Amino acid sequence: MNIGELLSQYGGKYAIALLTTWKLTAVSFALALALGVLITAMRVSPIRPLRIIAGLYVQIFRNIPGVALLIFLVYALPYLNLIFSYQTCVLTATTLIPASFCSEYLMSGMNMIDKGQIEAARALGMRFTHVLRKVVIPQALRNSVLPLTNLLVATMLTTSLASQVPMNPMELTGLVSHINTHSVGGIMAFVISAALYCATAILIGQIGSLIDRKVRIVR
Amino acid sequence: MNSEHKSGAETPVIELRTVNKYFGTHHVLKDVSLSVRQGEVVVIIGPSGSGKSTLCRTINRLETISSGEILIEGQPMPAEGKELAQVRSRIGMVFQSFNLFLHRTILDNVTMAPMDVLHIKRKDAEEEALKLLRQVGIEDQARKVPAQLSGGQQQRAAIARALAMHPKAILFDEPTSALDPEMIQEVLDVMTSLAKSGMTMVIVTHEMNFARNVADRIIFMNDGAILEEGAPDEFFAHPKTERAREFLASFRNEQKESEL
Amino acid sequence: MKNEKNNIRDFLYDEPGPKAKRRIIFWTIVSLVPIAFLLYRMTVRFQENGQLAPQYWSFFLKYTTWRFIGQGLLGTLEAALTAGAIAFVIGFLLMRGRISRSGILRKISAALIEFTRGVPTLLFIYFFFLVVPQTGLKLPSLLRIALPVAISAVGVVAEVFRSGVNAVPKGQTEAALSLGMRNRHVFYKVIFPQAFRYVIPSLISEIVIVVKDTTFAYVINFPDLMQNAKVLISNYDAMLPVYLIVSVIYILINFLINQLARAVR
Repeated sequence: MNIGELLSQYGGKYAIALLTTWKLTAVSFALALALGVLITAMRVSPIRPLRIIAGLYVQIFRNIPGVALLIFLVYALPYLNLIFSYQTCVLTATTLIPASFCSEYLMSGMNMIDKGQIEAARALGMRFTHVLRKVVIPQALRNSVLPLTNLLVATMLTTSLASQVPMNPMELTGLVSHINTHSVGGIMAFVISAALYCATAILIGQIGSLIDRKVRIVR
Repeated sequence: MNSEHKSGAETPVIELRTVNKYFGTHHVLKDVSLSVRQGEVVVIIGPSGSGKSTLCRTINRLETISSGEILIEGQPMPAEGKELAQVRSRIGMVFQSFNLFLHRTILDNVTMAPMDVLHIKRKDAEEEALKLLRQVGIEDQARKVPAQLSGGQQQRAAIARALAMHPKAILFDEPTSALDPEMIQEVLDVMTSLAKSGMTMVIVTHEMNFARNVADRIIFMNDGAILEEGAPDEFFAHPKTERAREFLASFRNEQKESEL
Repeated sequence: MKNEKNNIRDFLYDEPGPKAKRRIIFWTIVSLVPIAFLLYRMTVRFQENGQLAPQYWSFFLKYTTWRFIGQGLLGTLEAALTAGAIAFVIGFLLMRGRISRSGILRKISAALIEFTRGVPTLLFIYFFFLVVPQTGLKLPSLLRIALPVAISAVGVVAEVFRSGVNAVPKGQTEAALSLGMRNRHVFYKVIFPQAFRYVIPSLISEIVIVVKDTTFAYVINFPDLMQNAKVLISNYDAMLPVYLIVSVIYILINFLINQLARAVR
């Protein structure tokens, strides 16, 4: 198929697929961010069991292959009478994994903060929550803009996992496999999806470095 | 300074009673007792590793102590919580490495604690901050972030930040040790005028001339203990202990070398 | 040592006073309750659904099971090492292109790097699985998994190499040039060996991503750990235990690789 035929036959589906990928990415990233913050809070808490659980969480989900997790959620959990929709399983996988990386980035963002500033805040009579709100969190976030930008791209790439289960509507990767199993889409079917992924990644990267340049802490 | 105050007639601003501190098995503060009167300028000197910085940091509990007592304005140092924060807000601190908040402007650095801790309105806090920045000579740097300032300017901003809390006393932990030589004097000048204005100050420093000119009292520490204390002229002219004589001699040699 | 503070947790909090200490102990105990409850519920759930029955677990005591898992692991290793080697070579070439003096070469390399970093591995897998055969080209199954995995890694590898080269002080080049060395010599004899040493940890971490990506091998029937797991499942009808164990194996392997990267750092 040439590009004209492809677009006339599948153009609408590509548009929907792109939107689906974007939506999956946005929802996963938002959830991963929230979970990542929670996990990070647990990792720095003075409560040891919470630290251990959070540390375990990070080690499990930064090291498990996405497919293994997805297959486990979709096919193994029903044996425990835990049955979720494909959509839920995909979203769970594309949230749990990025959340572990999110926590890693936030941790290193926090570790970059100079301890002297925390002492200075304390010496001024600021209490723990103040120090956290005014010094630790703002600086950790500013330190983490680029890693989190990369995480957003990585989350988008992870959403391609959705192609491994029947989903409606399909996202960009699922659509390529669909087109090529139903008709001879050829290289163009692949190229269109790849280009859409790439364009999104580049856009995210540009916005990320724009924000980073604005908020980066000069040392 | 403040010669009308008779020592003992009023409660000292800062008082340490037989304070001991261990880092593991290392005994870093040995039976340290010290009292600082209102308006007094106490300069702590001694070789590096003698515990003088640690001593300075125990006074607002940035370091905890193993035994002994620390009293601030006659009240025991609280161990935690609101009470501790309250005491800290009344004791200023200036650090060796400035420790300005790098993500905020100089003005924000000075107004942050007054607004958050003392609940002063932004407008009033900024007005006060600009006044203080003028006092330390960097009013024109108010809208910059710390990294845009020289070390000397940063340290002066840090002093303004401490002053903005209207502290009862200010602790200086080697305030000029991280500075390039040509910037040391501008910081010392600000400190000298603070001392003249009657501020209660505890200063850890290696600047002997400054110590001699500004101090009401010199404390000489060695190996975690106070070996000598007395009036600066007396101490610098006739140190009583061998260790203090050696220490001062090493400084004179250094000075001679740098003069060559 | 107490005064050796280098972790955020060590200076995020004040040294706890007596009240804070009591509070920490209290919440430590309280936090154990939901954790214990969750563990208990999980066990009960396994029990209720018969998943703790010996038939589902006893075959893990058999030598043949582990030999089969081991074979799968070898497949994973083969695919990962092949992909890693390809990514290493192409990544190096892309890095050379990215820092070359030719503007066109730089642009092409940069575009290729962006491209491989912005496209999911699965899409490359489908490209080699569905699109390439349409051209009549028949690749061995090892390459059908290793190539896409490698391609999706080359962009990162190239950027890792480049960051290493950038980390080598400028003075090194100047010193070498002043000794009369030629440009090519300077790069291969002076710059790259140093750059390589800087980036070894990052390269090791990249292996984790490669290992994870090889799990897509089941799409193309390459006998890796994931694929062999499927066979075990059909043999013993034990979906949950096998996927559980296999996941743990992957997690452990990647954990160990990450630890290695940290140790080297």
